[in-house]
Order: sequence, then structure tokens, then C-alpha cells
Amino acid sequence: MVSARDEEEKHLFHVLAVDDSHIDRKLLERLLTFSSYQVTCVDSGDKALEYLGLVDIHQQNECERSSPLSSPSSATISCESISTKSEVSKVNLIMTDYSMPGISGYDLLKRIKDSSWKDVPVVVMSSENVPSRINMCLEGGAEEFLLKPVKLSDVEKIHSNLISSTNYNPCEENAIAEIEKSNNTKREGSEIDKNCSNGNKRKAAAATSLDLSDRRPRVQELPVS
Amino acid sequence: MERQAAYLRNALFDQGYLDEQFLQLEDLQDEANPHFVEEVVKLFYTDSVRLIQSIELTLKNTPWDFEKLDNIMHQFKGSSSSIGAKKVKKECSQFQEYCNVGNVEGCIREFQEVKQEHAALKRKLENYFQLAREAR
Repeated sequence: MVSARDEEEKHLFHVLAVDDSHIDRKLLERLLTFSSYQVTCVDSGDKALEYLGLVDIHQQNECERSSPLSSPSSATISCESISTKSEVSKVNLIMTDYSMPGISGYDLLKRIKDSSWKDVPVVVMSSENVPSRINMCLEGGAEEFLLKPVKLSDVEKIHSNLISSTNYNPCEENAIAEIEKSNNTKREGSEIDKNCSNGNKRKAAAATSLDLSDRRPRVQELPVS
Repeated sequence: MERQAAYLRNALFDQGYLDEQFLQLEDLQDEANPHFVEEVVKLFYTDSVRLIQSIELTLKNTPWDFEKLDNIMHQFKGSSSSIGAKKVKKECSQFQEYCNVGNVEGCIREFQEVKQEHAALKRKLENYFQLAREAR
């Protein structure tokens, strides 16, 4: 049984889906919207990086290191363009296909883990069951590796793993996006606060209200009032 | 009419044309997305026609680019798998196996099988969707 709060919180959950296959994008989008998530689909790793504002890594690192007042003009300009890009809604989860033309899902994973988006969980998907590939992705920081075709039960499993994981804290994600949003943000700010304060309650709800056998119990069951 | 549609649908599963992935597509269909299954299948056929043409073009150039053929077929297999097209998927795998060992005759034969299964499923699904629509 899924609580109303669970459903409501899922609506705030934004997934970036990356896949070069039109059919798989449609399927993934439907799987995710069916599960009440917000979805953005892109058809390549390059578009994903663009969306996340990670197109020019070197300039972005420059911006993060130098102070806004003293930075050289070229770095300032690139900071501005990056901050415009990161005014996208925050991203709570990235799901990417492994084999794509251009940058692979693994390369995308590494780029994300090397960036300010590193705390966003990344799930890699592939139609091929290659153990060395799976290990490589998991060791590279992937949250999960899914075999295609992806099913509803896979999406449910990921969600429950994320919300029951003691590391998961939506407040710490997307540092740049949050800074940029500080103006725009009454609504955004309150959503973020709401997620933080409900964190513990959500874990309890997850532990007691979901009853599927493949759950990995990471929290003790607490009584839900 | 409804019984006919159900009969046709069950036959597709029993005869091995469709696997459980098709059930997953059906599970994703609801009042808000009442034509989801048909939309995905349509997309599959648009996509796969393009892939078939691509293979045919590649087969015209000798010596064959087996890597390219394998690549295209990999995409084809992936799409087939995503809609639960069991027989089509199997023929795609077989084609890839012939590709991997550079078996020209095997590839040619197998490509015909892929096209046949692809067309057969299309006909059957079109009939099924037609009946299902009339039954509503």
C-alpha cells in the first residue's frame, strides 16, 4: 500500500532519462510517469551533459574555484551560461542507457560523478548481460544496473532503495542549482525544506507500508502514526 | 467481438509471437493513456522499417561491413525486446550470430526470416488492435 504522502513526494521527484532508442525513451517515460515521477528525456549523453550544465567542464571548474568578483571575464561569462542551464528543475535520479553513440552511459556516469551532480544517483541500463560491464558501472558509482527491457518492478525497487538508503538526502543535491535558485525560489525552497523534514517519516513509511520480497531492509521498522 | 480480440491476443502468446514484456506494456495502459500499447507498437514498426532499409543498404556494399550489420541488428533486437516481440527478437539474435562468424549465406537466410517474422507479427497485431477497438 502506497501512502498519499508517498505519491505526493514522488511528484516532486524528477528523473532525467537518457537513451538513444526512441522506443526505449517512450517506454521509460511511461514507466516513470505511471509511477508518478516527473521525467525529462534526452536522446544522448551529450544532451544530458548539456541539460545538467556540464558541457564545458574546465570552465565550470574555473568558476567554482575563483571568486565571482575577481574572476577573469571569460570565466564569469561561462559561469553565467552554466547557471542559466542549471535553472532546470532539480534532478533526483538519472537513468541512462549504456550503449549510445557518442558518449556512452559509462562515460556519462563518470562525468556526473566528477561534477557537482555527483550525489545524484545514476542508474545504468543495458540490453546485454555482461558481468564485467555491470561491475565496471557499479564500481564507477552507479546506483544500480538494470537489464532491459526495464519493468515497473525495477522502477519500484530503485525508488524504495533510494528512499531507504541512509545516504540519500535530497537537500544535499544539486548545489549549483540551489544557489542559482535562491531568488526564484520561494516555492522551490519550501519544496526542498519539505523533503528534508519529511526524510525520517518517509523512511518509516517505506519500511512498513511496502511489502515486496526483494526489499533490502536498511532501516528498522518504526510505528507509523 | 471482445471474445475474438481476447482469443487473438492469447494466441499471440501461446504461439510464441509475444512474451511477457507485452504484458508490461498493457499494464502501462490506463484511462489517461488508453492507446499506449498501440502507440509503442506503431513506433516499433516505423523504427524497424528504417533499420531494415539500413541493413538492405549495407548488404548492397561488398565486402560486407559485419560490424555495422551487427550494430543495426543490435538496435533492432533491442526494440523487439522492448515490445515483447519474441520471435522477431530470436531471429535478430540468430542473424547476429551469423554476423559474428562472417557467415554470408547464414546472414542472407536469416535476414529473410527476420523480415518474415516482422511482417507476420505486424499483421497479427493490426488485426488484434482492430478487433480490440471495435470491441470497445
